[in-house]
Amino acid sequence: MNEIILAYIKEELLNNEIEDDFDENEDLLGSGILDSLGMVQLIAFVEKEFKVEVGPEDMVIENFMTVNHIVNYVEGK
Amino acid sequence: MHLTQSQFSLWMGQKLNPDVPLYNMAHVFTIFGIVEVENFKNAFQHLIENSDALRTVFYEKDDQPYQHVLNTVDYNMENFDFSDYTELQIHDWVKERSQKNFDLSQVLFDSVLLKVADTKFKWFLNIHHLITDATSSTILYEFMCSFYNNLKADQHEILEPIPTFESYVTFESNNLISEKSDTARSFWKEKVDVLKSPISLYGKKGDYKTTKSNRVIINLDKNRLDKLNTVAQQPNIRSWTKDLTLFNIFCTILFVYVKRVSAQNKIVIGTPSHNRLTKKFKKTPGLFVEFFPLIADIESEDTFEEVLASIKIETNNFLKHAQPGMSTPELNKSYNVVLNYINANFSDFNGSPMISEWIHPEHCDPNHYMRCHIYDMDQSGNISVLLDLNESIFNDDLKANVSHHFLTVFDAFLENIKQPIGKFSLLNQQQITSYINDDLESKNNTITILQSIENIVEQYPNAVALQFKDETLTYKGLNKRANQLANYLKNQGVVSEDKIALYNYRNSDYIISVLAVMKLGAVFIPIASDQPSERVGFILSNSNSKLVLTNSDLKKNLIDTKVQILDVSLIRETIQNESSDNLNIKQDLDKLAYVLYTSGSTGNPKGVLISNKALSNYIFWGKEYYDISSKSSFALFTSVGFDLTITSTFLPLVSGGRVVIYKESNSGPDTAVLDVIKDNLVDTIKLTPSHLSLFKDRDLTNSSIEKIIVGGEDFKVSLGKSIKLAFGNRVRIFNEYGPTEATVGCIVSEFNPEKHKESSVPIGKPISNMHAYILDDYKNLVPKGVIGALYLSGNSLADGYLGLDQLSEEKFTENPFVRGQKLYDTGDLARINEHNEYEYLGRVDEQVKLRGYRIELTDIESNLNDIKGVENCAVVLAKSSRVNIAESDVINCTECGLPSNYPNADFDTDGVCHLCNAFKGYKEKANKYFKTEAELQTILTSNKTNNSTYDCLSLLSGGKDSTYILAQLVGMGLKVLAFTLDNGYISEQAKGNIDRIVEKLGVDHVYGTTNHMDEIFVDSLKRHQNVCNGCFKTIYTLSTKIAMEKEIPFIVTGLSRGQFFETRLTEELFWDENLDVTKIDDTILEVRKLYHREEDAVKNLLEVSMFEDDEVFEKVQFVDFYRYSDVSLEDMLIYLDEKVGWLRPTDTGRSTNCLINQVGIYVHKKEKGYSNYSFPYSWDVRLGHKTRDESLEEINEYIDEVEVKRIMEEIGYEESDVFETDEKLVAYYTGDASISVKEIKKQLAKKLPAYMMPANFKFLDEMPLTKNGKVDKKTLRDLNTEQLELETSYVAPRNEIDELVEGVWKDVLRLNKIGIHDNFIALGGHSLAAIRVTSRINEELGMEIPLKQIFNLPTIEEYSNYLENIMIELLDD
Repeated sequence: MNEIILAYIKEELLNNEIEDDFDENEDLLGSGILDSLGMVQLIAFVEKEFKVEVGPEDMVIENFMTVNHIVNYVEGK
Repeated sequence: MHLTQSQFSLWMGQKLNPDVPLYNMAHVFTIFGIVEVENFKNAFQHLIENSDALRTVFYEKDDQPYQHVLNTVDYNMENFDFSDYTELQIHDWVKERSQKNFDLSQVLFDSVLLKVADTKFKWFLNIHHLITDATSSTILYEFMCSFYNNLKADQHEILEPIPTFESYVTFESNNLISEKSDTARSFWKEKVDVLKSPISLYGKKGDYKTTKSNRVIINLDKNRLDKLNTVAQQPNIRSWTKDLTLFNIFCTILFVYVKRVSAQNKIVIGTPSHNRLTKKFKKTPGLFVEFFPLIADIESEDTFEEVLASIKIETNNFLKHAQPGMSTPELNKSYNVVLNYINANFSDFNGSPMISEWIHPEHCDPNHYMRCHIYDMDQSGNISVLLDLNESIFNDDLKANVSHHFLTVFDAFLENIKQPIGKFSLLNQQQITSYINDDLESKNNTITILQSIENIVEQYPNAVALQFKDETLTYKGLNKRANQLANYLKNQGVVSEDKIALYNYRNSDYIISVLAVMKLGAVFIPIASDQPSERVGFILSNSNSKLVLTNSDLKKNLIDTKVQILDVSLIRETIQNESSDNLNIKQDLDKLAYVLYTSGSTGNPKGVLISNKALSNYIFWGKEYYDISSKSSFALFTSVGFDLTITSTFLPLVSGGRVVIYKESNSGPDTAVLDVIKDNLVDTIKLTPSHLSLFKDRDLTNSSIEKIIVGGEDFKVSLGKSIKLAFGNRVRIFNEYGPTEATVGCIVSEFNPEKHKESSVPIGKPISNMHAYILDDYKNLVPKGVIGALYLSGNSLADGYLGLDQLSEEKFTENPFVRGQKLYDTGDLARINEHNEYEYLGRVDEQVKLRGYRIELTDIESNLNDIKGVENCAVVLAKSSRVNIAESDVINCTECGLPSNYPNADFDTDGVCHLCNAFKGYKEKANKYFKTEAELQTILTSNKTNNSTYDCLSLLSGGKDSTYILAQLVGMGLKVLAFTLDNGYISEQAKGNIDRIVEKLGVDHVYGTTNHMDEIFVDSLKRHQNVCNGCFKTIYTLSTKIAMEKEIPFIVTGLSRGQFFETRLTEELFWDENLDVTKIDDTILEVRKLYHREEDAVKNLLEVSMFEDDEVFEKVQFVDFYRYSDVSLEDMLIYLDEKVGWLRPTDTGRSTNCLINQVGIYVHKKEKGYSNYSFPYSWDVRLGHKTRDESLEEINEYIDEVEVKRIMEEIGYEESDVFETDEKLVAYYTGDASISVKEIKKQLAKKLPAYMMPANFKFLDEMPLTKNGKVDKKTLRDLNTEQLELETSYVAPRNEIDELVEGVWKDVLRLNKIGIHDNFIALGGHSLAAIRVTSRINEELGMEIPLKQIFNLPTIEEYSNYLENIMIELLDD
């Protein structure tokens, strides 16, 4: 799951200025890898790819800070 | 190339406001350094060459906009040396230049380099929003920097190409058809569906036309910014990114601000989504942003923290669903406040410092009343709030206050996010002080009313004080009688402050009794004669009355009381022996004058205590304000239990004027008001608007009435205008507001039709020594214009309620603004308009006003609950759905003439109605329905071989249309039988026409008749509010019978094309992509079958058995002549004149040949507000068969009311109530279904006066509840009149299919609520409605449900079960 998410971010969402050298523990928002709309796209991707539904209440930093957080969240669903 | 959604909406906006620079996005970049001019200009040329957005122009083809990218643009960029200019001159230049209008077919930018000093340059760049947005500006700036830098370094090649906007256009198109977009689309649709009314800032309604807007800039100081940054870091506040956190915070603040200045709870704000989803788009110049609404429900008690939490979720939803291309005009119409969070980052100019400035073009989208930009330009952290304020809402006064209000909310947020958002005051001390300018005790009265009247007796002893039937009393005589009665009562032991009930009719004894009680320093309690005896009994014991003064006729109602009864009509002789001198008992302003009982919420009335001081305050103010003198004469004709009657009782007596008394009838409705008008004796009257509405259509130009004071309920401008008109504009009308608790009237205005443009007349300004405050939920004064609860303070306030200390304390609290004064909570909603007048806007609670009577619904409910078998109940005031517009304010569609009071009429900005606009979409298809005269001939001659004597039967009314048809048919060589229904009202000349025509054309002719015509007319008037429906059905029935007997295969009708659309063609029939006219014909035939089987007088009274069998519809076919002929009115008239000798009848006074049809028009207009011809004629115009002027002229033809009433009597039609029946009380109850309404009414009548008796009672299986578990009164109010007549009880939809069916029914039948057991036909569903309902459901579900099912399964429950079964079957297959 890690790889799928990381690959999607690197291919589709990454801002140009950002080095694409980061891992599943990188703070996606804090380090500027994603902006809010990018995060929402990532969520849409996660929803589709892993067949889960992410409600607006779940869209918080605690669930989506790093790729690891996302994996934990999805697995906990 | 087509436009994106966003581009399209801007293009529309610009097209609607062609000469206004509302979408100019101008920036000035001030560069502190040397700029090489030529290199800069070349760099800009590079920018143009590399950005397709800058080379985009727009053009139109077939009314559709397209965009086109020019291959080359040779742009000669200007540069000026402004070294000699002052800052102000440069500023003015920029301001003027930024307002330049772009021609959309030319390049849409303007770029100028200004030299301001040797080392200071300004780059002015103005781009039309169609090709740019805020991020786009930064992208263009960055590219410009790099191009310039390259050129300086002699590097002419472009290293990094600029991505094209074109690829975004494609991206959006693809997204629109993606699967994901369906979810988003339905998300947004559902979201805005819940919105009811637009946000009204400061109580104002904008015009959605003004583009002029002013920018107010709020710079946040360091202290505020520091606090903001601290708050933004708190874990409970933080969102994903700092920008999102700040966005959510400002969003919360803006939502709260809007809530506070709109007093609405459901707030909607539009905000842009940046839409730059991919890496490439982040580098693409062009218009990407797209607006979507954010919606939040906010209550005053919510804390900032709670609001923020819900905003965070709302923002997440927004981010998730704001996808490119998903915005629609409907979404964009849902908000009028915009939040724009801009974090545009402009770096320095290749090492030189740069400051950017965004220039407001002083115009903005007219749909945006307020745009709030949160602007951190150059990411300096110095956030500014820019408010663009639309001039149609924000005048100079208001503009000055907006920043203060916004900052107050902002500061409150920073100060304590745990505080309720409604708690702090928006006004500062200075604003509060200016609100409360008058001294409350400026003009104190020192004498009581009685003292004043006794002075008048001295002054005008021989003037007539009182007139009652044949009896007149001078002031001297009145005073004598009052003194004698007072002395008599004194001997009976009555002393100061005793309570004396006056239970009497309006007569001279009543006035004498009032004065006598006052003379004793005692307190009078007026009780109207129509009160039920139990209620009278309650008042007597509750008030602890010492005595009740009454009349012989009323005494019988006072059986159980222990209070001593005195029949004043019997002691007239006896008291003549008493002294006639004044008693001179000490009068005390602080003591009570009277106690008036009003409806109470507990089921019993409550007594309001009015002191002499309060009474004096009102009466002496009124004397001056209304200019009442010894020459004035007042009519006393309203109920004495009603506080507005105090005016007519005392105002003339303290002025030396005359009171003319009109007694109520002993039983039945009080119609004294009509006698007042008839007698024409008085110059001033005081009454309720409901009463006043009786004068509406009369000619009162010779009336003696000069002043009318209305009070007691909302006074509509439309009524005011009608009354002014009735009196030939001679009369002055005053609108007085005041609860009994503030003594009759305490806010007043004079009606001015020039000034008063809203639907209600404002209640005006407070009277002397009175204050009126508009407060919010936390009792803060609201900003001017905002709706709030109305509170009163000052000398007119009552002393509280008799014996109800707790209630008195609740309603009369300490005045927080003026020490030592009381503050009365009226429970009314109000606002102050721009003329500083108060406007009444309804009730906070359950109290209602019906025909001027103040009624606590809970009063009725608790009495209803006391009845055995009633478990739960709710009473509501139901309003009729009729659109109330003053005749003079009705507008007509600029194309077809449809009036604005036609139900659900909706006009666009050009004044074109929704029907015209919709028709444009299916006009071409509709044309396929129509055919040629040749085809008609083919049809009619197809059966020629038959043995029938006649080829066809032609319906002949004698009018031009049917005469023309007959002549044409004869001309085709057909054997025709002409048929005319003699309905008893055909004009003599029309009959002459008929006889002449049939003779001249040589055709056989028969008259059809029936003895039941009158009953059919009456039934038609009741069912359809016209006579034509009944008449038509009779014609069809009788003519079909003849055709059957004589084996005539065709009946030719003379319906106009407009009438087709009135009776059988609906928009839905033309929805099908591949229009099949035979399918329409089949549908119409089905409808015809149903039509003849519908229950009504024709079906019950005439011989209709032939319609039971479908065979009749095959044997006799109906042919509509004008389906095949498109003859113009002009050609027709020429033909008739030359060939037939037809004459226009002049004996009907109208263009028709039927004398009864004006009865239908009269009834339709009265009950529905508009003529029954408005709709079909609008279709005639739409189809080009009449001009708009011809149609309006015919619709507005004179109606002879005397004749109408005569015919009504002749046919036996009883007109409904004399009062306008716009509102009525309806009681809903659960419990024992077997108790009869009759029984309930009988029980209630013992407790409640007639005006409080609900008009309808409806049993419910279950009471509908809100999500909070309260009775859902809104649902109950939404049930309409027809539904109340139904036997069934309301049951809400059970599932999605029920909801779907209910939705379609509601749309088509124009109802707000339908229960699943309600019957389609009983709800007014006729055949046309059946077509519409069936077509819509078929369209929605992709099915082919036959039309007749709606009549076979006429309830939502049955119909939806049927649908469900079909769906299951389909799935199984």
